[in-house]
Amino acid sequence: MAKDQSIQKGRGATIKKNFLRNWQLYLFMMPVFLYFFIFHYIPMYGVQIAFKDYYATLGIWGSQWVGFEHFERFFSSYYFWRLLKNTIILNLYMLVLFPLPIILALAFNELRNGAFKKWTQTLTYAPHFISVVVVVGMLVAFLDPNTGLINHLLRLLGMDTIPFLTSPDWFRHIFVWSGQWQTLGWSTIIYLAALAGVNPELHEAAKVDGATRVQRILRINIPSIMPTIVILFILNIGNFMQIGFEKVLLMQNTLNSETSDVIQTFVYQTGILEGQYSFAAAVGLFESAINIVLLITVNQIARKVSENSLW
Amino acid sequence: MLKKLFFLIATITFVSALYACSNGDDGGSNEGEAASGDNVNATGFPIVEEELELTFFANKPAQNENNDWNDILIWNEYRDLTNVNVNWNLVSPDALEENRNLALGSGDLPDAFFLAQLTNTDLLRYGSQGSFLALNDLIDEYAPNLKELMENDPTIEKAITFPDGNMYSMPALIEEDFLSLRLSARPWINEDWLEELDMDIPETTGEFYEYLKAVKELDPAGNGNTIPYGGTAIVELVQWLSGSFGVMNHGPSNTNLDLDPNDDSKVRYYATTDEYRDMLEYINMLYEEGLIDQSIFTIEWGQFLANASDNLYGSMIFYDPIELFGEEVGSQYNSLAALEGPNGYQSYNKLSSSVWDPSNLVISSDNPNPEATVRWMDHFYGDEGAELYYMGVEGETFEVEDGEAVYSDHILNPEGDMTFEQAIAQDLTWLGSISGIIKEDYFQGGETAPQSLAAAEKIAPQVIDEVWPRFTFTEEENRILQSTGEDINKYVEEMRDKFITGDEDLDGWDNYVQTIEQMGMEELLEVYQAAYDRYQSN
Repeated sequence: MAKDQSIQKGRGATIKKNFLRNWQLYLFMMPVFLYFFIFHYIPMYGVQIAFKDYYATLGIWGSQWVGFEHFERFFSSYYFWRLLKNTIILNLYMLVLFPLPIILALAFNELRNGAFKKWTQTLTYAPHFISVVVVVGMLVAFLDPNTGLINHLLRLLGMDTIPFLTSPDWFRHIFVWSGQWQTLGWSTIIYLAALAGVNPELHEAAKVDGATRVQRILRINIPSIMPTIVILFILNIGNFMQIGFEKVLLMQNTLNSETSDVIQTFVYQTGILEGQYSFAAAVGLFESAINIVLLITVNQIARKVSENSLW
Repeated sequence: MLKKLFFLIATITFVSALYACSNGDDGGSNEGEAASGDNVNATGFPIVEEELELTFFANKPAQNENNDWNDILIWNEYRDLTNVNVNWNLVSPDALEENRNLALGSGDLPDAFFLAQLTNTDLLRYGSQGSFLALNDLIDEYAPNLKELMENDPTIEKAITFPDGNMYSMPALIEEDFLSLRLSARPWINEDWLEELDMDIPETTGEFYEYLKAVKELDPAGNGNTIPYGGTAIVELVQWLSGSFGVMNHGPSNTNLDLDPNDDSKVRYYATTDEYRDMLEYINMLYEEGLIDQSIFTIEWGQFLANASDNLYGSMIFYDPIELFGEEVGSQYNSLAALEGPNGYQSYNKLSSSVWDPSNLVISSDNPNPEATVRWMDHFYGDEGAELYYMGVEGETFEVEDGEAVYSDHILNPEGDMTFEQAIAQDLTWLGSISGIIKEDYFQGGETAPQSLAAAEKIAPQVIDEVWPRFTFTEEENRILQSTGEDINKYVEEMRDKFITGDEDLDGWDNYVQTIEQMGMEELLEVYQAAYDRYQSN
């Protein structure tokens, strides 16, 4: 008992001492902390409208509780399974392509010709700066069944034209690969930075031992950037279910909605356009719940398997 | 240690934030209740003796891109006349729904919503909560022009009265006889090509098909670029042809709903009928044979206009061709009426109700002077107001020639590169909207161009007798419409397009009907039936 108390006391004193010594650092931390607190934590009290029948005039606190009514409605909706399936498949598809920027970064890293390296890197970064609206406009221009470039080529080759934009089979491919085209180069940056930190002595030693280039990539480069890869993977999972929804919305039409209808577009339509705030909040909350479960699971696995994790 | 510090800061911030919030909520609710009735004249102008400032949330159609309603001839003129100074809070149509819902959701209401396209669901929801004022008594007392129109056409009152007996809005109306406007986009056919093919203007669905096929073979645009039928959306074609197949027999205002031809006390969900199926089969045939633009489901307005200017279309459903494609291309088109279908149906069902939009003006509970606001709006239901809104000020924007109002020369023949519409937008704001009542006598635009008027005259005898406005529903009914109704309508629309393109085979029709029944068709129909019964008995 006595020992415990003295430890408590000792701790309290250290905290105080620590704070006094480093108060400048805490001050630096404050703006970021406040930002998250004010803009990300306080608004969370609004989540309760998912369990209420929200009326603007009654306010968030004053609206009536309805329990899980909105959730029940969503789960029993005709489109529930389609929305869930589309959201998951689209995300899995994007997740499967997670190694692409790593491969590209490893390749860039092997380039010795400075000018060539810079050119290719710039070329792959460039699409990142195009707005989503413009990208979709380009897709429409290229893929149009009458006037599109691709279908022109197909016709020249004597093949049937393909209704890319209205076909549910094509939607996922177009969405994911145009996304890759846009972000691939940009995503390599962080890996390149990690690769720059690899100790050159390791490579020299391996060279002396007669290791080939491929062996050096597999045995030195990849293990060295593994922590970065794992962290980025977990962060990616954290965004699972949150697809760039503007792009889906822009590419959506009645003919491809069988695969393009995802939870986020549904929330936009019911929540913002039809003004069913409570229902949309319930759907959004459901999505976030899935997200957090995934994030924790993957983090846990990563910690066990690789000793790298977010927390 | 860190954890404790976090907790401390968190608690402090949270508590102070809560305090700030709760403080904010208390103020402001009991203000502005001073009797406003004093500051309003029952008749004549000005409406108010002391200048009254009002804030209107308004939809600003795209054609008005370059003007500012806070300083423009028409609203300055009307301000001087009425002594009511409106501050326009303008929102572009792309962002209208979002902004409107955000304004409603945040509880920060303008004094009135103008042309904001509020749905009936919202009108009732916010009306019954008290955010919107019930206007029954105000209209009775301060809106003589609207009242007169309602007495002559009972549909108007039915369209804006909710099951709780209240009216929460003043409607935008089209004079019933101004058919050309009620038709909006109408069917056109390229007469030059008809002559080249030695064919007459098609009068049946069969003849129309023959024409499209012949155009495709003739390929007047060259290189296989000719598009026998094109449009900006497939729904235009579906609605036009519904008159040839006997569905949508009371107009398009209530989605997929019309009157049972065998029992006129019952409504019918026509998207599951055999007639509807026959129509889809016909359109599917056109699409599969390449007679309908293959990009019709994704085409943008601009691309359509570009194609039309290149003269690629054999037929289409659109607005006045000469106005929009120019004299050279536009004058090749002649209008089509309703086609006779395989089972003898031949009526023109694609036209709007004379109640164009129930929510032209909606008054919020924050409005300091609802009486004056109602009077402000009512002026536009009379001849003088219609003239002011659509023609402007005599001597400045229009002249009277032989008893007919005609725009001034500087609008009809604007200087430099300016178009007619741009010239109008400098002084007037009606482009892209209907407000008050729109009358043929006080309107000059695409719909009163000779080509369009001729089309309307041709179509007139085939037009259905009664066009329903959108029905109004109770809150309970809205709940069903928003869940089951939305799901079914979405499914029907998706399947319609799939049946048309052939992505879904029409052999699967029974399956489709069954699915709709499982989704809760019966419940939906009960809602519609109740709404219709109320509509009839009102």
